[in-house]
Amino acid sequence: MKRLPSITGRLARVLIVISVAWGVAVAGVIWLTVQHEVDDLLDGTLQEAAEIIYAMLLLQGERLPLGQGATLPAPPHEENLVWQIVSPQRQVLLRSHRAPDSALLPAPHIGLTDAAGDWRVYGLAFGEGQQMLYVAQRGADRREARYEVAGISAASALVVGLLCAAWLRSRVRRELVPLNALSTAVSGYEPLEGGSTLAAPGRAELVPMHAAIVDLGQRLAQRVTHERAFSAHAAHALRTPLAGMDAQLAVALRECPPDLVPRLKSTREAAGRLRRVVTALLTMFRSGVDLHWQPVDLPALLERLPVDGLTVSVEPADPFQADPDLLAAALMNLLDNAVRYRAATVRVVATPHPGGTTITLHDDGIGIEPERRQRMQAALDAQQYEGQVGLGLLLADRVARAHHGGLLLLDSEQGCTVQLRLGLPATGDVAAP
Amino acid sequence: MRLLLLEDDLILGEGLRDYLRSEGHGVDWCQRLLDVTSMRAEPYDALLVDWQLPDGSGLDWVRALRRRGDRTPVLMLTARDLLSDRLKGLDSGADDYLVKPFQPEELVARIRAVCRRASGAAGPCLRFGDVSLDLAAKSATLSGVRAELTAREWALLEALALRAGRIVSKSDLDGLVFGQEGEVASNALEVHVSGIRRKLGRGLIETVRGMGYRISA
Repeated sequence: MKRLPSITGRLARVLIVISVAWGVAVAGVIWLTVQHEVDDLLDGTLQEAAEIIYAMLLLQGERLPLGQGATLPAPPHEENLVWQIVSPQRQVLLRSHRAPDSALLPAPHIGLTDAAGDWRVYGLAFGEGQQMLYVAQRGADRREARYEVAGISAASALVVGLLCAAWLRSRVRRELVPLNALSTAVSGYEPLEGGSTLAAPGRAELVPMHAAIVDLGQRLAQRVTHERAFSAHAAHALRTPLAGMDAQLAVALRECPPDLVPRLKSTREAAGRLRRVVTALLTMFRSGVDLHWQPVDLPALLERLPVDGLTVSVEPADPFQADPDLLAAALMNLLDNAVRYRAATVRVVATPHPGGTTITLHDDGIGIEPERRQRMQAALDAQQYEGQVGLGLLLADRVARAHHGGLLLLDSEQGCTVQLRLGLPATGDVAAP
Repeated sequence: MRLLLLEDDLILGEGLRDYLRSEGHGVDWCQRLLDVTSMRAEPYDALLVDWQLPDGSGLDWVRALRRRGDRTPVLMLTARDLLSDRLKGLDSGADDYLVKPFQPEELVARIRAVCRRASGAAGPCLRFGDVSLDLAAKSATLSGVRAELTAREWALLEALALRAGRIVSKSDLDGLVFGQEGEVASNALEVHVSGIRRKLGRGLIETVRGMGYRISA
């Protein structure tokens, strides 16, 4: 059977996709925004730092050791900001420890700019001799700061998105619990039993479905009630005339002239067959309603079945669970079929197995051609009986299916071999001994 | 045996009546409960009762019968075949339950069975000293030698044998053997008793003066 799409699965997938897409989009926006803001912040910091350094250097006035590439004394340290005072001739007069010994910019520039060697530079005019103070920061340090902040922010957004997806998925599952509860309630709902009611749904959306199921159950119960009434009526209407017909024929057989005996015997046999078919039909008519599982003694059951002109041998078998009336109807029809297929003997074997019991009937009749047998088996498997199998096999198949089993027509060297497979009753279906 | 058939269906009732008579049984056939009430004074070996009758329920009638202490064997003949129906029928006092459509041969065998059980016999043959009766074969033997009985003699012997140990009045025996046949000679019963004694020995049937006859159990 084709696997149907799952509401939970589909919703979960959609939620994950939406959450991840949302997380990625938010992360992208955060990335770009943070990059820009951090860049602005670093530029501002660079500018402020340049102005502080400017003030500090200016306070030193003539005490500054301005010379070719001179540096101020300082303890060993990491420099995130470097600075240099450059003459109009682009000579570095004074610089911080890590600052390059050549001018950061090829020409005097006031304000922020990017310089060769991956520097971000802020330039200020310094002193009266058209000197320039450049305060710079390495581009790599700036990028590292930008990426770190943006990365952490974007990752946080993604994690939040995924957590939301997981939470929403769990929430969807919880919201579907009332649907599962309704399914469980429906499986235990027996509209044919007067006291059985369908438990109220747990969500407003399920109320229409609940109402529809209850309505369907009531309509089915009403129909079954009508069918039961019809069955009882049909039983009385058919059974009594059949019994009368047989009694009249039995009397006629005793009273008639000898030359009429064969004809009357044939008529009585036909009446007997009609009686068996009607009995089986009436039994089958009710089979969908109740199945009376109880231990069945197969040899004793077969002994009671009236099939003229057929020798039935049955191998000893332990009693097994089945509905004796339905099983008798099925066997009666299969034996009747054997007679029609010119069998003189039928051997019946009951084989128990963990899943139930298989009853095999071997006869010595004319059998069924392989191609036709396959067509008939296909019709039985598909329950498309029309035009393929007769009433006997149809009834036997229905009986087997009512017992959670099926009917098999097997390949046979001689005659016909039919297997009636019966399953086991569900818990609680077995009648008390 | 003397049988009462309570069946409203004309074809079935007539067929069963004729078949049972052809088997040597005396049969009174009624189609309504009202008819039975008017003729129930007759003793019967068994009652064959349909469940649904035009003027009431055969089952209720059997129930009332049992309440009155009547122990006559009853076979329910009905189209109702549900397990619940069968249980109800048997629990209401019926001794056996036969679902229509049935074959008359089976009905006859079941009548024999319920009557045999009612008489307390375990098997199909009843033994009284050297005399043995086979109810199915309708034959009697004395010390293993088959005795040739007439239909009336057999009916009388069977009626007494199924009530072994009890005194059966002459009027009851008249009903059981001759049924509702018209005029019967006043000494007919004595003639048949005499015939049985001649064929199966004088000690089999005991005359209880002023009361009737008895076969000792």
